[in-house]
Amino acid sequence: MKHLIHTLNKAFDNRVRLGVMAVLMANESVSFNELKEALDLTDGNLASHVSALEKAGYVVVSKQFVGKKPNTTYAASSEGKSAFQEHLTALEKLLRGA
Amino acid sequence: MSRPATDPLAQLTEIRAIMERSSRFISLSGLSGVGAGVVALAGTAAGHWYLQQRYPNAGYLRLLQSTPQERELVLPYLLLLAVGMIGAALAVAFFFTLRRARRAGQPLWSALGRRLALSLFIPLAAGGLFCIALFLQGAVGLVVPGLLLFYGLALLNASKYTLDEIRWFGLTQIGLGLVAVLFPGFGLAFFALGFGLGHMGYGLLMYNRYERQ
Repeated sequence: MKHLIHTLNKAFDNRVRLGVMAVLMANESVSFNELKEALDLTDGNLASHVSALEKAGYVVVSKQFVGKKPNTTYAASSEGKSAFQEHLTALEKLLRGA
Repeated sequence: MSRPATDPLAQLTEIRAIMERSSRFISLSGLSGVGAGVVALAGTAAGHWYLQQRYPNAGYLRLLQSTPQERELVLPYLLLLAVGMIGAALAVAFFFTLRRARRAGQPLWSALGRRLALSLFIPLAAGGLFCIALFLQGAVGLVVPGLLLFYGLALLNASKYTLDEIRWFGLTQIGLGLVAVLFPGFGLAFFALGFGLGHMGYGLLMYNRYERQ
């Protein structure tokens, strides 16, 4: 069993990061506020986890202006998508083995 | 939210719930549909009654052969009726959906709710304006099929953000609209069938599936 646990991606061992990836898998591109609403989080909590995912290369951040307002949207990168899929597969394997 | 989730079953369940919640507006109440259907039937009856008063013994059929001047005279009444029906149906839908969202502890005016409303109202507004133009240009028999078609397309468009039944409801309305083109004399009957019984049928179906305890 132990070796299976190690196949789980460390980047997703936190519920917030897992939640962010889940939202980005189900939606093409999402604003910061939409993410906050979907996961019921505070600004600071979400921001640190999103930037961790961005550093890992799993999330792509794009900043545009809507009129004069800055608008930041997030999307899952292709690496992020495949890493998340692998994570799901690992979870399923764990379940089946148990 | 910061404790690590190591239990795989809990993780999978949560991922599924988040993906569902973040991509589909699931608070839509089936009772909204039933209410909208009742409004549509009442509206059809009011329209029928008005046309019978105006053109005794002919009613709707007379409207199909009306002159431009006659149509301009009845348009304000028909528009008022349509706006009243849309307003009443939206109020009923809003009431039941708000009630359901509150019970489930979900926000009604979420980003998702806004996206759903926008994807519904853009084709709907285009269809409404187009049908007014059809009416004024004398293609009265195409108005009800047009309304059904555009409503069906709007539902189909919005269905990617909400429950799957809405997609089938949209396809049903599109089919009905296409059939209605073949029977121009039965516009009111098709209106009652699509907007009245259609809403009530799908509303009850959704209520039975998701809401009845």
